[in-house]
Amino acid sequence: MPFKAKGDYIIVVEHINKTFANGVKAVVDFTTKIHRGEVVVIIGPSGSGKSTFLRCLNGLEDIDNGSIIIDDIPLNDNEKNRLEIRKEVGMVFQQFNLFPHMIVLDNVNLAQRRVRNKSKAEANAMSMDLLKKVGITDKASNYPSQLSGGQQQRVAIARALAMMPKVMLFDEATSALDPEMIGEVLDVMKDLAREGMTMICVTHEMGFAREVSDRVIFMEDGKIVEVGTAEHFFTAPTEDRTKLFLSQIL
Amino acid sequence: MYRRKTRITMLDVVVTTLLILLTAFIVYRLTMKLNYKWNWSIIPRYLYFFDESEGRWRANVLMQGFYTTLRLTIWSTLLAMFFGFIAGILRTTPRLFNRLVGRSYVELIRNVPPLVLIFIFYFFVSAQIMPLLGVEDFIRSRSPGTQKILGYLFSAPELFTAFLSGMFTIAVFQGAYITEIVRAGIQSLSRGQWEASYALGLSWRQQMTYIILPQALKRVLPPLANEFINTLKYSAIVSVISIQELTFQAMQVMAATYVTIEVWLTVTAIYLVMCMLLSLGVQWLEHRLARSEA
Ligand SMILES: Nc1ncnc2c1ncn2[C@@H]1O[C@H](COP(=O)(O)OP(=O)(O)OP(=O)(O)O)[C@@H](O)[C@H]1O
Ligand SMILES: [Mg+2]
Repeated sequence: MPFKAKGDYIIVVEHINKTFANGVKAVVDFTTKIHRGEVVVIIGPSGSGKSTFLRCLNGLEDIDNGSIIIDDIPLNDNEKNRLEIRKEVGMVFQQFNLFPHMIVLDNVNLAQRRVRNKSKAEANAMSMDLLKKVGITDKASNYPSQLSGGQQQRVAIARALAMMPKVMLFDEATSALDPEMIGEVLDVMKDLAREGMTMICVTHEMGFAREVSDRVIFMEDGKIVEVGTAEHFFTAPTEDRTKLFLSQIL
Repeated sequence: MYRRKTRITMLDVVVTTLLILLTAFIVYRLTMKLNYKWNWSIIPRYLYFFDESEGRWRANVLMQGFYTTLRLTIWSTLLAMFFGFIAGILRTTPRLFNRLVGRSYVELIRNVPPLVLIFIFYFFVSAQIMPLLGVEDFIRSRSPGTQKILGYLFSAPELFTAFLSGMFTIAVFQGAYITEIVRAGIQSLSRGQWEASYALGLSWRQQMTYIILPQALKRVLPPLANEFINTLKYSAIVSVISIQELTFQAMQVMAATYVTIEVWLTVTAIYLVMCMLLSLGVQWLEHRLARSEA
């Protein structure tokens, strides 16, 4: 795919705060707007609130205040809105979190059948397409435990895509993988980015960031410290904290 | 799988020898020195007797008691699972009120002696509620065929009310323990399972039905099966409210014949064999599940 057209804002986050019950302020006055089709990479030291920020976007964590609007739907106490947003926002976890009691095909089918109310045949057809896309057709009737980590994560991506989400969140999708499997998962993510999916990826894979991201956000202590292109972070980071962090991961 | 080699040490030999000697001594004292006339010949006829009028062998009081114990155990366990699953799920819901209800149930049952609970239930449920519901009249008004089937599955019409209150008492009691098993099973699943299914847009009920319960159930199957054995053992306690199960019948036979030790040894043997067979079943189940885990 050549150059992708950037659309309107699909995610609008304004001044959100998240404090945990133990008093930890994980996200502090966070504001950002994300274009339709944009790929954003979030980097930052451990405990800086990257996961928490992602989890706020699909309602896995409740925010204290501020506002999150996704595809014109405000994420608030309204259960219908929350459900709508959960349907439109796919999430891929560091630990895959496949359903171990279901075969791969059923993992991908589940939400289509139960949330989208598709027929079994329809769901199967779509699932097989998605599994083909992530390169796992031959394992469709295996249980997750029979797959390698890289394969499991690719299934998890297919599972999230099955809901035809408008946004995909990736929380350190490659961090739990053996080095030789990181590439296969990143390739799937890159394809997705090139197809125009809106993506927010927490990852320290700076090669990935350089190849497909439009914007990199560096955060620390729950706050945005520096924003720029991947190129900017490689060549001319301005903040000292950014430089220090980059010197540790590059 | 790594297996430890079975090894017999000197200590094992010594302990075993001592145990054998002790047993021999007790048997010797019992048979030679005890002021007790053994009368084993009376036992078989309280298990089965030959019904002259019908021309066939029929179960006598002890075996009838045993069948009642079995029926009581099966129905109570099923009912207890029902209570246990509802309360167990309540204990894991996000709503505080639900958790409170589940918790109160468990705490209430676990912190009262079972015997006291039984009396409470007996005088309340059996003496007040059951007549109110008119269970016995209802049974009696059924056709003889229906009565026979009900008698086969539960109990004879004249003992129906007592049977139901016994069943209910054990079920409520055991339900509290099953609640904790179910809760532990649900909570043993990683948070990731909840989160992944949530992110896919599943409702709480769907998460429970398709993701959480199937996995939790598999994990708690052995402890649940174990509760079946516990129910069987606890069922003896309802003999105090005149439910004619094995223990109650044993007391009757003892009162009528004075062959105390023989009766209780027989009853012990019946419970022991039953529970051991069930326990083997549970072990087999655990083995199967462990293998299918892979
Ligand atoms: N459920 C929770 N309860 C209390 N504190 C939490 C919880 N989850 C996260 N935190 C705290 O919030 C802060 C941000 O955590 P978060 O997981 O978002 O960081 P992160 O940037 O994703 O880190 P990592 O790179 O290690 O994944 C940390 O200080 C963490 O200890
Ligand atoms: Mg994290």
